[in-house]
Amino acid sequence: MENKVDLTVELGGLKLKNPVMTASGTFAFGEAYEDFFSPAELGALVVKGVTLEPRQGNPGPRLVETPAGLLNAIGLENPGVEEVIRTYLPPLSRYDVPVIVNIAGNTYAEYGEVAARLSKCPVVKALEVNISCPNVKEGGMAFGSHPDTAAEVIRVVKASTGLPVIAKLSPNVTDIVEMAQAVEEAGADALSLINTLLGMAIDIKQKRPALANVTGGLSGPAVKPIALRMVWQVARKVKIPLVGMGGILTGEDALEFIMAGATAVAIGTGQFVNPRCCVDVITGIKKYCEEKGVKNIGELRGVAWRNADS
Amino acid sequence: MKYHVPHASVVGQWNTGGNIFLLTLSCPEIAAEARPGQFAHLRCGNTLDPLLRRPLSIFQAEAQKGLLSFCYQVVGKGTQLLSKLQAGAQVDVMGPLGRGFDTEISGKRIGLVGGGMGIAPLVFLGRMLARHNQVQGFWGARTKELLPPLADQFPSGDSGVEVACGFPYLVATEDGSAGRQGLVTGLLEEWLEQEPFDRLYACGPRPMLAAVHRLAQARGIPLQVSLEAVMACGVGACLGCTCEKGPGDGGAGAEGTGNPVHRVRHQDAPNSHAAAETSAGSLAAEKRLKVCQDGPVFWAEEVRWDGE
Repeated sequence: MENKVDLTVELGGLKLKNPVMTASGTFAFGEAYEDFFSPAELGALVVKGVTLEPRQGNPGPRLVETPAGLLNAIGLENPGVEEVIRTYLPPLSRYDVPVIVNIAGNTYAEYGEVAARLSKCPVVKALEVNISCPNVKEGGMAFGSHPDTAAEVIRVVKASTGLPVIAKLSPNVTDIVEMAQAVEEAGADALSLINTLLGMAIDIKQKRPALANVTGGLSGPAVKPIALRMVWQVARKVKIPLVGMGGILTGEDALEFIMAGATAVAIGTGQFVNPRCCVDVITGIKKYCEEKGVKNIGELRGVAWRNADS
Repeated sequence: MKYHVPHASVVGQWNTGGNIFLLTLSCPEIAAEARPGQFAHLRCGNTLDPLLRRPLSIFQAEAQKGLLSFCYQVVGKGTQLLSKLQAGAQVDVMGPLGRGFDTEISGKRIGLVGGGMGIAPLVFLGRMLARHNQVQGFWGARTKELLPPLADQFPSGDSGVEVACGFPYLVATEDGSAGRQGLVTGLLEEWLEQEPFDRLYACGPRPMLAAVHRLAQARGIPLQVSLEAVMACGVGACLGCTCEKGPGDGGAGAEGTGNPVHRVRHQDAPNSHAAAETSAGSLAAEKRLKVCQDGPVFWAEEVRWDGE
């Protein structure tokens, strides 16, 4: 049966050839998985979080595996915005894929400055604002755990750039809907949810926390039900599109997020398990659509909501 | 080129004693390109726990036969599952990954210093280097059972891979159950009093590497070390395995601007005045090394040892 499926989606003014993106911090600056597939196959390439100044990140150990999950405390290690613009971003123009840069800062002004500088870089098509990193004292969750500060970061970034702005939300809050609405109100063009969940592990041989940073962010299949629930809750409370992420390994996982209301999805930890995870997810989505006679991926967006209502 | 081979078949697996296993896969793509010191990233099954791959250093790669083998110790859930694989089973492998040892050397006297499972990649290296160099191995382990299979105790027939060092080696165990009782670095130090080496290679626990580094540095012998780290991606994407950069680049260290903090730390360390003098300064020191991609093999000067 010949059935051409339209996988294109629109995300805050960006047109993506399919709904599958990389999750920031899991794909470096686009080159790491080049031997396994071309970034051109992706809907969008979201690169590592960038700050104004270079950051060394946290001491090691930075990773601990947990059941069906991964705790990390990288601490936003990155070469700083100038080096990223000079060295890391220009080569990305060779791929036919929209590049989205994740940004973080210690102060409102730093978020604005990083946004302004990246906006002058032609390869950058959107900014994802990290107001949710659990592993740094400032600049991360501090902003993202209160609706007023989260909204202020988004206002500052919006005032500094003409690019679409995606707010990446933290799940470590009491009311995710309140956060989503606050950043929408502040002008966010789309939302990414979720960032990692704050967690920890103890090494019982050493009788001490397994991560040097003590706590870290939990990702992987272990967090998927929580991520899905948050996408579900937010989907009908905002008008802007959502990027769903958290433990996606397969096309089926991605479809759950889309049916909960996500416009696009992002793959993070899944890439570490399967270096072709992103393309396997795209293939899986396409196969499902072909089998079910879905002509446009948009038909599936939020369909679980509609079916739950009826 | 890195390959992802989702269904490499297991040719055989052999328990060499204790909890050490030798796993041989048919994996022509990776076997053809693997170099000593590189590693492969293996899934330990199809379930979600354990979720991540396990990086295993390559023990032997036979391009003609398309065989790739790993010598590993069962230390947790992942390696436990790997150790159950039988001939005919399939395993998901990525590789070859990372930067291996420098093998562009000939006509030299070379010492290899391996501790425990760190001996495995050095056997691969030594076999290659022994063709054009005079190679001497120094192998150490806590006890005899924790030594990987070496030439004289290894029946090569049932694994499909022929393993023979092809060069002389000395053994030390901490409990004296094989070779000399004591640390492998003791063997090396005694040897160095009699005869020098033009280059040293080391792989093993960090304290052993630091001790070899001190011995090499004091005598001006270039040293390459292979570092171990917990990894997630294995390809330079996640930054989970990065470590602090040392003052040098493996060749002559550039005279730097001199970060005072950096200098003080080096002055605290014994035998490290040379390192302090050649500090490449704060800028270079700020960059971190990705063990999975920039390494796992580094020139000793590329790594930050501090007081170790």
